[in-house]
Amino acid sequence: MAMRYEPVLLKGIGEADLRDIRVYRERGGYKQLERAFRELSSAQVLDLANASGLRGRGGAGFPTGRKWQFLPANGAPRYMVCNCDEAEPGTFKDHTLLEETPHLVLEGILIGAYGIGCHHAFIYIRGEFKRGYEIMRRAVDDARAAGFIGKNLFGTGYDLEFTIHRGAGAYICGEETALLNSLEGKRGEPRLKPPFPAVEGLYKAPTVVNNVETLAYLVPILERGAEWFAGVGTERSKGFKIVSVSGHVRKPGNYEVPLGVSVNELIELAGGPREGRKVVAVQPGGGSSAAIFEEHFDLPYDYESMTKAGSMLGSGAMVVFDDTTDFVKAAHSLVRFFAHESCGQCTPCREGGHWLERTLARLVAGYGLQSDIDVLESVSHQMTGLNLCALGDSIEPFLASVVKRFRPQFEARVRRNGAS
Amino acid sequence: MSDFAALREELQPECEALIAQYPDKRSALLPIVHLFQARQGYVTRDAMWACAEMLELTPAVVESTVSFYTLFFRRPVGKYMLQVCRNLSCLLNGAETVMAAFRDKLGIGHLQTTADGLFSYEEVECLAACDRAPCMQVNLEFVYDLTPAAIDDMLAAMRGGTYPVAPLPQTAKPARTWAVAADGEVALGDKSPGAENASDPNNAGGIGDRSGVIMLDRILAEQSRFTGRTRERLPNEPPAAMREIAQEEAGHAH
Repeated sequence: MAMRYEPVLLKGIGEADLRDIRVYRERGGYKQLERAFRELSSAQVLDLANASGLRGRGGAGFPTGRKWQFLPANGAPRYMVCNCDEAEPGTFKDHTLLEETPHLVLEGILIGAYGIGCHHAFIYIRGEFKRGYEIMRRAVDDARAAGFIGKNLFGTGYDLEFTIHRGAGAYICGEETALLNSLEGKRGEPRLKPPFPAVEGLYKAPTVVNNVETLAYLVPILERGAEWFAGVGTERSKGFKIVSVSGHVRKPGNYEVPLGVSVNELIELAGGPREGRKVVAVQPGGGSSAAIFEEHFDLPYDYESMTKAGSMLGSGAMVVFDDTTDFVKAAHSLVRFFAHESCGQCTPCREGGHWLERTLARLVAGYGLQSDIDVLESVSHQMTGLNLCALGDSIEPFLASVVKRFRPQFEARVRRNGAS
Repeated sequence: MSDFAALREELQPECEALIAQYPDKRSALLPIVHLFQARQGYVTRDAMWACAEMLELTPAVVESTVSFYTLFFRRPVGKYMLQVCRNLSCLLNGAETVMAAFRDKLGIGHLQTTADGLFSYEEVECLAACDRAPCMQVNLEFVYDLTPAAIDDMLAAMRGGTYPVAPLPQTAKPARTWAVAADGEVALGDKSPGAENASDPNNAGGIGDRSGVIMLDRILAEQSRFTGRTRERLPNEPPAAMREIAQEEAGHAH
């Protein structure tokens, strides 16, 4: 029997219309923003982020406070950009937060912006989230009217401007330097790093790019204390995480849990497998993560355990596969995704993804060659580590893991000589 | 004053407000293109030139940027842009049935528009609504938990003008239509394969993409060039199904 957990960010969703600023404020909204401005210095907000152990919830899992500390301490102009370009296959948490509780997202961004001492914050919203964009626009107008955005906030003399930027369809813009290019009105192509955005980001100024969920957690951290957040989870994976569970489960959805609950428990929370079915594989961290299998389902769901199992926690998108799954089709679907979303700058990613997709399409159609299976492994392996960003490296994990585990499924798609 | 000049004059204040939001005016490119597309249905050459002028960029830079993004349509599209998710979680929950239903009912395939200009159809990547798979967007509004029956109702409502999502403006005749137009003109046939055999269960996962099969066909045709270099012996005779496909392809060629 799965335990239920008290939601933190998802609290109140479905009970009240949190898009209404009055409702949000009645429930304690914007109190932490006010407290941050009135009672805390930027350095104290940064200390809280550090002490909470909060790590980036967008995929990389980098400690948030440390990311902020990479900014030069000279007080030069800097920017905070919230990354809401959610498009990792299987991930749908930012979409929910944006549409259901936009003021929490906004409050988190504004607190983060104050924490790094910037005076202009941005949110980059995926082009497909047209409704979310409209909801956020209203939220920003209401917050501005209430005095939470603009000049001389809370009478402290601190100015903070806010801009919503809407993308136009490109997964790669979730990569932080591609996002910055897109925000600058350019093609969404990742930049060569270094320099990292903390040194040279938006408009060549030091910039922090943080995920929606990461920034939203700043609000409860300020409210309940860094110790409260750090006291939840495991030693190195602290706090809560919204896990988007989808695929072959009875109740797909967002489940907010303390890091370190078991993979099995998450599957149970999502209603368990369908009637009479057995889960044979789970992709624990979005389309870029390797599959894990039955022997891993007792592992705690945290950054370290998932890495140790040969995968990653990533964005917290858990796709569940039962024993009816056609893994050749599943692999084809993801490889096609990365091939489609490659920006084309780096040859290994552009060409490798394209040819892997075609090879897999041939296998799906049942016209594969025996050598195709080795080609899948060698090409995906060789294209890894040779690209400007992580997109080209994202094909190998899932593909290699399912080819290894379910090789007979791939072999069954090979056309034998003489067969009709 | 031309129609476009009037539109530009009308949108000028909004464009200026967008530019003012950013420390650098080039940042306003995507929002301004969105603005024009929302009025014209697609990104026209006029709109790109206007952006170039307003933001002090070359038209080539504007077009290069616009062409990077899939939600900027560079050709006229149908009044209803149907974008069905083909990614993993939807696939595990019946997206193939949904895609086959759309292809059958509309008679068109991926990236094509019906001859009456009403529907454009596209199979897109993850829309971040995997908890309500299979899902799609109609003119960027989400539709969840799709079933073939729901698709029937949806298309009927769109044809009858009662669908709750507003149609896109259409300021030019759509390109890339598949069927022969009513006036007898043979429309531009997009040869992306699949529309013609959407319901074939052997068709690469119902994805309408036979490129792998076609590729193998080409390999077989050029077999002699690779003799001794391929790692295994290829079948001498293409299987019957492949011959049919090859004939079909030949039939479509100009």
